[in-house]
Amino acid sequence: MKYIYDVLEGLCGAVGVPGVAGCSDAACVALELLRKYIPDAQQDKFGNVYGIIKGGNKLSAALSDEQETFPKLPTLLLDAHIDEVGMIVTFIDDKGFIKAGLCGGVDPRILSAQRVTVWGKKPINGVVCSLPPHLVKDEKKALKKEDIIIDVGLSKEQLAEFVSLGDRITVDGEFTRLKKARLTSRALDNRAGVAAILYALELMQGRELKYDLAVLFSSLEEVGGRGARIGAYRLKPDFAVVVDVSYGDCPELLVHESGRMGDGVMIGISPYLDREIFENFKILAKTHDVKHQIEVMSRSTGTNADEITVSRCGVRGGLLSIPLRNMHTPAELVDIEDIEATGRLLCEFCCDKWGV
Amino acid sequence: MIDLLSKLCSLNGTSGAERDVRDYICSKIKSAQNSDGDCEIKTDNLGNLIVFKKGKKRAKNKIMLCAHMDEVGFIVDYITSDGLVKIKNIGGINPAAIIGRRLMFGSVAGVVGAKPIHKLKSDEKEKQPGIDELFVDIGVSFREETVEHISLGDNGYFIGEFCEMGDNLVMAKAIDDRLGCAILIEMLSKTQEYDAHYVFTTAEEVGTRGASAAAFAVKPDMAIVLEATTAADIPGVKDGDIVCKLGEGPVVSYMDSGAIYDKELYDTAFFTARENGIKCQTKTKIAGGNDSGVIHKTLSGIRVVALSAPCRYLHTANCVINKSDLKEMLSLAEKLFEKMAIL
Repeated sequence: MKYIYDVLEGLCGAVGVPGVAGCSDAACVALELLRKYIPDAQQDKFGNVYGIIKGGNKLSAALSDEQETFPKLPTLLLDAHIDEVGMIVTFIDDKGFIKAGLCGGVDPRILSAQRVTVWGKKPINGVVCSLPPHLVKDEKKALKKEDIIIDVGLSKEQLAEFVSLGDRITVDGEFTRLKKARLTSRALDNRAGVAAILYALELMQGRELKYDLAVLFSSLEEVGGRGARIGAYRLKPDFAVVVDVSYGDCPELLVHESGRMGDGVMIGISPYLDREIFENFKILAKTHDVKHQIEVMSRSTGTNADEITVSRCGVRGGLLSIPLRNMHTPAELVDIEDIEATGRLLCEFCCDKWGV
Repeated sequence: MIDLLSKLCSLNGTSGAERDVRDYICSKIKSAQNSDGDCEIKTDNLGNLIVFKKGKKRAKNKIMLCAHMDEVGFIVDYITSDGLVKIKNIGGINPAAIIGRRLMFGSVAGVVGAKPIHKLKSDEKEKQPGIDELFVDIGVSFREETVEHISLGDNGYFIGEFCEMGDNLVMAKAIDDRLGCAILIEMLSKTQEYDAHYVFTTAEEVGTRGASAAAFAVKPDMAIVLEATTAADIPGVKDGDIVCKLGEGPVVSYMDSGAIYDKELYDTAFFTARENGIKCQTKTKIAGGNDSGVIHKTLSGIRVVALSAPCRYLHTANCVINKSDLKEMLSLAEKLFEKMAIL
């Protein structure tokens, strides 16, 4: 629990709106954390963080004295996206107000009077403009995504020094502990998934892997699975397990549309996913007493699994999801126990002989 | 004064729950007053803090300066079987400023949930959920768990930490009307020319209830109300609808939806500002209201003037004001008070 909490706090403290030039802070933090398990993990030019752990028993050193040699194992890719939803500076008016476009699916209904940070040459505090009551004609009308304006209290000239068109904006949502094992923060979609994979790696220490394990913390998911597509091409997996978040239960959703918070990892099945992997996850969860629930999708999964499974000549894919409430708002909410269950199941899958 | 404002904004005190704010103000005044104790402090039945401070001279007109201690907030009115908390607003809060925020109930943090955008039907995307459709989530699954931490009737508050913003602006919750309180505390910490009553009122946001009792008890000839007022100097708002602008000094109103202000005092305020090189402006729309509304109708009528700091995003977690307006407002309040005392 403490491991996951600490990792998440570090990951959520960093920002990773899609397409920030060079490496985003969140990717850098993830890379540092990954290097504990894969010292030569690296980052590509698209912001993907990746690394490979050779599985199996080491062969005896008979072939070469210097070089360790491993048997060839199938490659299993573990993917979780590292980016988060945000906004992008599209225009600055004469008085220094910033017009913002969406960069990923932020919900405009939650934006009025929200505190934001503009990631220019330095972080700049701001607030989303909202009309005062005397000018609100209809309280039932939501803010439109075309009408998002950010007030940072600087003139156009002052802004020019720090902010350029294309800079990214995040809605502030501090990492806050709630009751039980729950916490809230912005960007838990999908830092929760990244934390689950890191936790799985932690649990694998000292155990024998049945695969060559490729780990990918992919960029650009919130704008269409772009990082995963590039990453999967590079890593050439045979199998892939994507870890993402899914809808947690709330009054506005039907029971079958959501996973119950605290009821464990959601094992996904959809026409896009591999049924044997799905069945194997269920068996492993039962065998190892991991709290789990089933998530059924009738078409696309809305995750990187959609992209990865059609990489090169096809990859057999599984999907594990962590229930999360208030998706794409700064009040995203998860239960650490669900992340823990996800990490445990993932670890057992990597150490299980299925598929090898 | 900015540090003082920051501290005042960090305190939680919605209408009817101003105790923490009052206690803090009280301790501030006590520690600032002269060794001979030139302040008489009392708390009345409605929780108003009424301070009489002796000046160097007796005033010809009995003056009451006032600011309200309460802020807009929330009250718990139901807990669902799933442990979610239903709330009602105390004071006017646009539901758009509530969804997706963090709220505090004592030391318990919660978030106001929102249906995921992915699952919204197209008509739902255009509709803003009302407060009756919102739930606060404190991280539990059942009512039995929630009631260990939260009871019906508990108050909830925005989290809106005080922070600097842009060119000389500050942002925080509760600036309305802790800034008025800060100005009064500042005036109380100095030797003033004339005697006066400084009143920190309660329950302004739910119908200016405290001020009516305070005005009745103090029985002033004239009153100065120190407030925050809505500024809509943002894109898409034109002409009179802007109401007032940040950085142009305090607003002196001639009329709002609650009061018609004394014309002579209104003119005196502008004259005093000009005379002392203090910036000030008036409202370009008859909107909003404050303690003045009830004060000017108390007893056989009390002459009243209001000075208000222009504030963007009033009644949200992130009110924004210009620090220079606050400074100018303090100067104008002091000078105007001296003029009115002998008018």
